Amino acid sequence: MIRNYLKTAWRNLLQNKTTSLISIVGLAIGICCFLLLTTYLINELRYDRFNENAGRIVRLTYSYQSPDDVAATHTALTPTAPVPVFKQEIADVEDGVRIYNYTDGRPAAVEYGDKLFSESKMLVADQSFFNIFSFKFIKGNPANALVDPSSVVITASTAKKYFGDDDPIGKILKVNQTNNLMVSGVIEDVPAYSQIKFDLMGNYAIMPRSKNLKWDSANDYSYLLLKPGMPVAEVQKKIDAFVKNRFSGEGQTNHIWYTLEPLTRVHLHSDTADNLDPSGNITYIYILAVVAVILLVLACVNFLNLVTAKSAERAKEIGVRKVMGAQRIQLFIQFLTEAGIITLCSILLGVFLAYLCFPAFSTFCGQLVSFDTWRTSWLISGTVILFVLVTLLAGTYPSLYLSAFKPAATLKGKVSGYAGGNALRKSLVVFQFVVSVFFIISTIIAVNQLQYIQNLNTGMNRDQVMVLDIGGMPFNKIMAFKNELIQQPGVSGVTATYDSPVNVQGGYSINSVEDKNSDFSLSVTAVPVERSFVKTMGIKILQGRNLDLSDEQQVLTDDYEKRKYGFILNETAVKALGWKPQQAIGKRIGLNGRMGFIKAVVRDFNFTSLHEKITPIVIFPQYDWFGKLLVKTNGKNTANTIKQIQASWHTFYPDIPVNFHFLDEEFNEMYKNDQRTGDILKAFTIVTIFISCLGLFGLAVFSTKQRVKEIGIRKVLGAGVFNIVGLISADFLKLVIVAVIISSPLAWYAMSRWLQDFAYRVSIQWWVFASAAGMVVIIAFITVGYQSIRAALSNPVKSLRSE
Amino acid sequence: MLSLQHISKYYQAGGNKNYVINDISLDVDEGEFVSIMGPSGSGKSTLLNIIGMLDEPSEGYHYFVNEAVHQLKEKKRAALYKQYIGFVFQAYHLIDELTVYENIETPLIYQDVKGSERKAMVADMLDRFQIVGKKDLFPAQLSGGQQQLVGIARALIAKPKLILADEPTGNLNSKQGEEIMELFSKLNKEDGVTIIQVTHSEKNAEYGSRIINLLDGRIESSRKF
Ligand SMILES: Nc1ncnc2c1ncn2[C@@H]1O[C@H](COP(=O)(O)OP(=O)(O)O)[C@@H](O)[C@H]1O
Ligand SMILES: [Mg+2]
Repeated sequence: MIRNYLKTAWRNLLQNKTTSLISIVGLAIGICCFLLLTTYLINELRYDRFNENAGRIVRLTYSYQSPDDVAATHTALTPTAPVPVFKQEIADVEDGVRIYNYTDGRPAAVEYGDKLFSESKMLVADQSFFNIFSFKFIKGNPANALVDPSSVVITASTAKKYFGDDDPIGKILKVNQTNNLMVSGVIEDVPAYSQIKFDLMGNYAIMPRSKNLKWDSANDYSYLLLKPGMPVAEVQKKIDAFVKNRFSGEGQTNHIWYTLEPLTRVHLHSDTADNLDPSGNITYIYILAVVAVILLVLACVNFLNLVTAKSAERAKEIGVRKVMGAQRIQLFIQFLTEAGIITLCSILLGVFLAYLCFPAFSTFCGQLVSFDTWRTSWLISGTVILFVLVTLLAGTYPSLYLSAFKPAATLKGKVSGYAGGNALRKSLVVFQFVVSVFFIISTIIAVNQLQYIQNLNTGMNRDQVMVLDIGGMPFNKIMAFKNELIQQPGVSGVTATYDSPVNVQGGYSINSVEDKNSDFSLSVTAVPVERSFVKTMGIKILQGRNLDLSDEQQVLTDDYEKRKYGFILNETAVKALGWKPQQAIGKRIGLNGRMGFIKAVVRDFNFTSLHEKITPIVIFPQYDWFGKLLVKTNGKNTANTIKQIQASWHTFYPDIPVNFHFLDEEFNEMYKNDQRTGDILKAFTIVTIFISCLGLFGLAVFSTKQRVKEIGIRKVLGAGVFNIVGLISADFLKLVIVAVIISSPLAWYAMSRWLQDFAYRVSIQWWVFASAAGMVVIIAFITVGYQSIRAALSNPVKSLRSE
Repeated sequence: MLSLQHISKYYQAGGNKNYVINDISLDVDEGEFVSIMGPSGSGKSTLLNIIGMLDEPSEGYHYFVNEAVHQLKEKKRAALYKQYIGFVFQAYHLIDELTVYENIETPLIYQDVKGSERKAMVADMLDRFQIVGKKDLFPAQLSGGQQQLVGIARALIAKPKLILADEPTGNLNSKQGEEIMELFSKLNKEDGVTIIQVTHSEKNAEYGSRIINLLDGRIESSRKF
């Protein structure tokens, strides 16, 4: 019996090549996308779970609010004290570790023999690190690998890079010319699904601050290992009580608190700033899961549609089989078998496509995903489940529908397939196009917004600015280097700052303000700069004067107490202090103990992501520590200018590899996630349009076949080609327009939500919907048009005779 | 073998009932060869479909080998015609995707006949109808007469007690028609198969042992030979 089912199913598949091909290709693409997305989701959901202690590791985050702040600041960075103090004072805490991102924004120069590399992923951690987290050691012992303050554990690829096939254990790596670290362990490369990613792991003890426990100045990431079975909420209560007790009295004005986050929730659920690893977003995970299912359903819909559309052709066969004694269940199984064969072909093709797509998809989503992400048993059972599910999803309705035909009616030729299930078929086509139009509209809006961001005047001139990493270098050498660069023909300005000007992070507070109470305190962002910063970056001064030589000399005096700082504030900061720009000039303020006067007020400029509104910022001269050298080039013959800059760098710093990028790149990098959203939308748009058009094409083929006689008669009666094309296309175009009407408000709502995340955003305009509608109507017309034109041009006599 | 009592069939047409079969009572004994005649639209096919349980009467009682068909569930009904009835159609109604061999085999598959047995039975049938050489062809590759032979072979394969044939020769030329009629007559006489056929041709009708004339859904006349 089953052989008979398979045989007829196979023959049917071959007989109807066009529809079979459309069904299989459509389904295969749906399955391919489904596989790619689920693999990505698995990767996101298994984040950090490889740690054996994952269930009892928590991350500590730090929140504070000064009395004059509008809102609290939440950061993943913590001071040095909490971990050791909590470990000692709170019984439920078994262990803890502080981690510092040693190469945060400033790569480290690492030297071994004649090999010199610039490392950007080096962390340092307390020696308990490898006891708390589970990294696989190839050489060395996790229990004591970090005991020695000058030890370093490296990954297998790093070991290969420096030592080739030699045994790395005991070898000395020289970090930033100062620290000689001895390799004490080699681990397997850190998986991409770990929030703690590193190539080198040193001991926290090499940080000078490790010796003093402080409750301010947050620079480290803190993780605690709770005793087994301790609920996080319980420990949280004890820590809250402890912190409250510790910071009561003694004139505390700031409100501070610590929050415990379970390790496995950090990646997808945390919304604190300054994360060690760019965090995912659980909302995106849900959205992608929904999209994966929708794509799969969309592809099943094609299949379902084509089978029911072809039901008229099958009706006679069904009648005959019933008369021969076939029971409904037997026919049901027969049609399900046919669906199963199509599904099987599609899954094979889909898996193959996914296999081909994984490398590109990995680059696309910035994570390494492949079939290796799956456990083999999962992959196999997943495929089987997918097979059963898709077969049932695509096969059940048509099979039920077909097997229910009454034999007498079908043999009399009374079942018109076109009438039967017509409403359903139309709704399904509308559904497909609702999804397509939704993606088209969303993509147009997203692309628009990204362009808007790129072209927005941020109040600062980012063009042609090279950023060189100079973290940790003595300032007088930097100044000499600067003076040399400024002589070069292609260079129009050089300045230095602590932070990159498109992403200023430093949290400070303004106090000791003239005319204000002594306990006034306002949290602000602030950035130490070299005096020509404002001019080089093209920031507009509204009132007052730029920093000059005298300001420079002030901050170069060795006696900190005597320095008089010249501060530059933005408009927003001045407003927050309750002044007009002209009133602000000359006012005395303090910035975390630095006393000075407001020298200038500048026009607001965006110094962080455009997701955020502009907040108060203070620009002040401070030469003790620079992170970035900003070189403004004139844009002519840039390649040559870069070469000259590199050459001078080598004469100044022969031991340090040069690291540079353009400010514009860094700016765009900040919107990588948004860019990715845009790219993903584009990809989905193409896929959904393609799948929907496949379905539409199949239906058009079918319906013109059904209407051959009608078309013949109409032609004989004098209808022109144009009438006929209009007749056939109109049916489908109506459906597409209904889809546009349903889809527009949905897309409008979704994209309004997405845009909410940007402080600077485009408004959604009517032309977006009009052009999406125009686009999909044209695409649908091209899909259907070919069929209808062919039908319209066919010879009517032929089609009538064939009846 | 079968008995129809006060059978009517009507279609609802704009409020009033449109009778296609109007109060027909009819008994057919085992071994009879009945020809049904009448003008187009007089209800011949409808009557045959009711006898074959492909269609349900609106009113009346229908007995088949002592079962009350009007009370049977669909499954039981299917079992009945699997066991007793073979259909032959004017338009042959072969399954286009199956070969001659497979078309003939199909009823056996639905009756759960074992593979080896099926082979023997189909081979026997091919032999009997002298179409062994055509067994791997598809219906589209046969002439009308050959297709109808296959149709009859398919109807006979499960050894039915009753053959229902709706204008079996309607699409054939007179020579082919004659051959089919000879075959029916032989089956009726030698194997004792009961046959009910619908036909337009006086000549073909006379192969039967009884001729029933229908007019507007009523039996106008009935002659036995
Ligand atoms: N589904 C139906 N609805 C309405 N009328 C029908 C239907 N099926 C058949 N008829 C009518 O029943 C009558 C008898 O049909 P039929 O039995 O096929 O006639 P015959 O086979 O004698 O030519 C015809 O007039 C036909 O129009
Ligand atoms: Mg008829």
